[in-house]
Amino acid sequence: MSDDPMQTPRATKGRAPDVFMPGGWVPMREYREDEKVDFVIVGTGAGGGTLACKLAEAGFSVVAMDAGPYWRPLEDFASDESHQSKLYWTDDRIVDGLNPLQLGSNNSGKSVGGSTVHFAMVSLRFRPEWFKSRSKLGYGFDWPLDWREMWAYYREVEDALAISGPVNYPWGPPRPRYPYRAHQLNAAALALAEGCEAMGIPWTETPIATLSAPRGRARPCVYRGFCVLGCSTNAKQSALVTWIPRAIAAGAEIRDLAMVGRVEVDRSDRATGVHYHRNGNWRFQRARNVVVAGYAIETPRLLLNSASDRFPEGLANSSGLVGKYITVQSNQAVWGTSDKEIRSYKSPPSLALTEHWNYEDEGKDFHGGYCYMSQGPEPQLWANTLLSGRGLWGDALVSEMQNYNHVVGLKMVGEMLPQERNAVTLADETDQYGLPIPCVTYSWCDNDRAMIDHALGFMGQALRATDARDIWEQTDDTCHLNGGARMGDDPRTSVVDADCRSWDIPNLWICDGSVFPTVGGVNPSLTIQAIACRTGDRIAAMARRGEL
Amino acid sequence: MTERYSGYDVMSKRNGPSWNDKTRQVVDDRLATPRGPRFFSETEYRTVESLADRIVPQPHRVDPIPVADLVDARLLAGGQDGFRHLGMPPPGEAWRRALAALDAEAQAAHGANFRHLSSPDRDGLLHCMHEGRLDHPAWQGMSSQLVFTQLVAKDIVFAYYAHPTAWSEIGWGGPASPRGYVRTGYDRRDPWEAAEVKDGDAAAAIRKNRRVR
Amino acid sequence: MRGRTAAIAVSGLFAAAVLGGLAARGRRRPPARRTRRDHAARQLDWGAATLAGSVLFDSAIEHYRGSFEHLGMYVPLAVASASMATSLSGGRCPGQLRTGTSVAAMLAGVAGLGFHVYDISKRTGGWSWQNLFYAAPVGAPGALSLAGLIGLAAQQLRSGDWPSDQQSGRALAALASAGILGDVAEVWLLHFRGAFHNPAMYLPVTVPPAASLALAGIAVGAGRPTLQTTRGWLWATAATGLAGVGFHAWGVHRMMGGWRNWSQNLLDGPPLPAPPSYTGLAIAGLASLRMMEDRHD
Repeated sequence: MSDDPMQTPRATKGRAPDVFMPGGWVPMREYREDEKVDFVIVGTGAGGGTLACKLAEAGFSVVAMDAGPYWRPLEDFASDESHQSKLYWTDDRIVDGLNPLQLGSNNSGKSVGGSTVHFAMVSLRFRPEWFKSRSKLGYGFDWPLDWREMWAYYREVEDALAISGPVNYPWGPPRPRYPYRAHQLNAAALALAEGCEAMGIPWTETPIATLSAPRGRARPCVYRGFCVLGCSTNAKQSALVTWIPRAIAAGAEIRDLAMVGRVEVDRSDRATGVHYHRNGNWRFQRARNVVVAGYAIETPRLLLNSASDRFPEGLANSSGLVGKYITVQSNQAVWGTSDKEIRSYKSPPSLALTEHWNYEDEGKDFHGGYCYMSQGPEPQLWANTLLSGRGLWGDALVSEMQNYNHVVGLKMVGEMLPQERNAVTLADETDQYGLPIPCVTYSWCDNDRAMIDHALGFMGQALRATDARDIWEQTDDTCHLNGGARMGDDPRTSVVDADCRSWDIPNLWICDGSVFPTVGGVNPSLTIQAIACRTGDRIAAMARRGEL
Repeated sequence: MTERYSGYDVMSKRNGPSWNDKTRQVVDDRLATPRGPRFFSETEYRTVESLADRIVPQPHRVDPIPVADLVDARLLAGGQDGFRHLGMPPPGEAWRRALAALDAEAQAAHGANFRHLSSPDRDGLLHCMHEGRLDHPAWQGMSSQLVFTQLVAKDIVFAYYAHPTAWSEIGWGGPASPRGYVRTGYDRRDPWEAAEVKDGDAAAAIRKNRRVR
Repeated sequence: MRGRTAAIAVSGLFAAAVLGGLAARGRRRPPARRTRRDHAARQLDWGAATLAGSVLFDSAIEHYRGSFEHLGMYVPLAVASASMATSLSGGRCPGQLRTGTSVAAMLAGVAGLGFHVYDISKRTGGWSWQNLFYAAPVGAPGALSLAGLIGLAAQQLRSGDWPSDQQSGRALAALASAGILGDVAEVWLLHFRGAFHNPAMYLPVTVPPAASLALAGIAVGAGRPTLQTTRGWLWATAATGLAGVGFHAWGVHRMMGGWRNWSQNLLDGPPLPAPPSYTGLAIAGLASLRMMEDRHD
């Protein structure tokens, strides 16, 4: 039998890979397909992986499926940019609109653990007002969640991931001390700090999901800098090495290389299970509840692909909003060359940040906020940035690459505004499973552009305040995916309620970044996990009251 | 011109603690990429070579980076980026169309196939392509600009910087696991990193780079 | 280049120190009747030597990590080696040499303190947790000063210039108490940086403070029953220092790549030579108790 985890499922025969040991296994409970499990979860990333853990630990029977392979990072991950593209969702997808998105490596993971296997680990809390941005700040939409409750769930996630962060956080309401201390700043982060001090705004060490000290069987970060290409030391606290081992220990089953193509709904409008493709065959798993957690493209795609006679527009779509209001974040950068050696390939890429423009509203000619962080691109990514962002090729490119070790940059994560026209729809073409592929349409609005202009101007000044020269702007990049099945208080204007339960089908849940009504100016992973923790608790509470 | 990282060869670290088995296997496989066309036809392959020659021009090397072979290998393996623009075919098909279109443009402008043009003529066509000013029917509706930045030039650049020779050229530390880095501040270098030639003292850099393991 | 020079210099200094110390021991005359002061002085020698040894290796590793960016970074290596050598040779060492090295150690420690404070103050972020954690450690050079002070005390005891045993004992107790407290501050800072991820990391911030407190009691004139308790705490502190090396060796093993990745983990992992500084200070503390014991020679 092949040992290629991309060809042959590993989590079978009552065992799953032990992510902490090369060649190792841990026992795993398995469920029969005709057994009605309490929950089948589609996707095992920040949303699905977290929820699988919470539900299994609450005593539910859980099967969580992922289309991707089940890695053992210690033996499967190479220190190589090309090779590690195996972590990305590179199935066929079409992009469209005035500002078509770049997907794949940028924002889409295909692994047990989802995109958290290659995320940059930046773990920030939302600014409290963002949960009510329409009422309090005058733009976007209100969330049906209260920030104080979220504050407690943020804490739960920060503990679960042993976030390394500053002793005191400069912005927002008080928060408990991060479980682990901040990492040593690298030169790229020092440049960010210098720029902030010159501009007179606060900065801090980035709260980050990679260990600054040993934890359990995971070893601390060695500052190898390949974070967004997969962490081969397990210092990165991805869902793969945190929530999922806990889920398995609590009795959940993980099915790797299991692509779910359709959620089945019976005549009484209740979900009955999922059709999934594994080992070359289409199969069916029965379940009392179905949770869709495929992130902002695959979640709407699955709901749309599950259309039936009773739900011709797709499941949970009575509002017509499934796939609508996809919202990404602006990810523009300024780059320069320092006389000093920066060698930003060392250490996690974003060790320092400022959230100043997330919390300061004075002097803005736009809605929303942004933070910006230090950067550490590896060579291929950097060469491509010079090509696509600066238009360099030929001798110009090869000679500019000679400055690689002196490059220093600042990159924003900015809040784009939700727009109905930014959407996931189904294309006519089909993928390797025979499923219609998604088409993602994206266009920026004036507010998005105004924020980007502001950020580029400000970051440029900050970078100029260091010794960097030859400063240029990378104007066309976005990151993260949210929205597409947003939560709300009103079934007419949202897909799920505050508990991530779909309005239309009471035993169909959506738990990932697609429930975000707005995106805020911080990386979304911590909020996705906090929502999953809350959903897990809410489901357990509802079950106790017999409301499932 | 002296090289900026004279004497540095990232491969000298191959057997040290900076490389794990998986990395050794991956890079060994890449270095053993078969030469000659497998995905492309012979003429397509020559055109890719003539493209790579302009997009990532190499200094004279005994063992140049086989950019065309690496691009060929990736397409043969069915490599995709995870997105394509509306109206663009999958990468392999888009590549073939692009190569044919470049020949068509070259024939129209200079009366010869792209690979037979002089370097300045090839550069001229590539500039037009980069700026989206090529619109021969042979592009079959593809934007020449998109094909340039998101397919042809991109794949070539990725192939070039996937090779250890390029890593050495830019003084990158290279693979790093289990050993990562210790000294990460301004102007700090671990003994297992490339030393830059400073103040024209190539000998000092060479001495340090020879000791990189 | 500097790395190799440093390695050679450190091994050379270390060899010289050990050989010098042992040679002096070898020339030891048949023991005359040794006084309590002699015993205490000898004990202080051991304390100072242990402390200086800890400083030598710790600064060697940390300054190697700092790439010996300026010549001053070699100073603690040289001074700590000399201090260790003269301490090991004890009473055999010519008085002026001993005084010289001890004073040099004290001054080098103070100068080091100054450099480290300066280093932090000029860094981005200034007096922040980041720099307290990762810049040159503020308190570390103090250990070198302490080694010098203890060496000086040993010499004073031998020369008999000091007043009564009781008074010298109390002075020594105060010195050891303060030294341990300083060490505790440093250890707390670094173990806090490590988030006390292993419960054993609380040991060196609980046991030595107790010893320090007890010693302070002795210094201000607590009675004989305290002497026994204090001795117990000091032995526990000495043991903590030695056990610390073991724990830290385990810690290096726990880093990615373990001992095979020594070129990174000896620098990034827990510092192997640091914990015995507790042992050195505890030995000095025990010497102070010896001076206060009731029995007669």
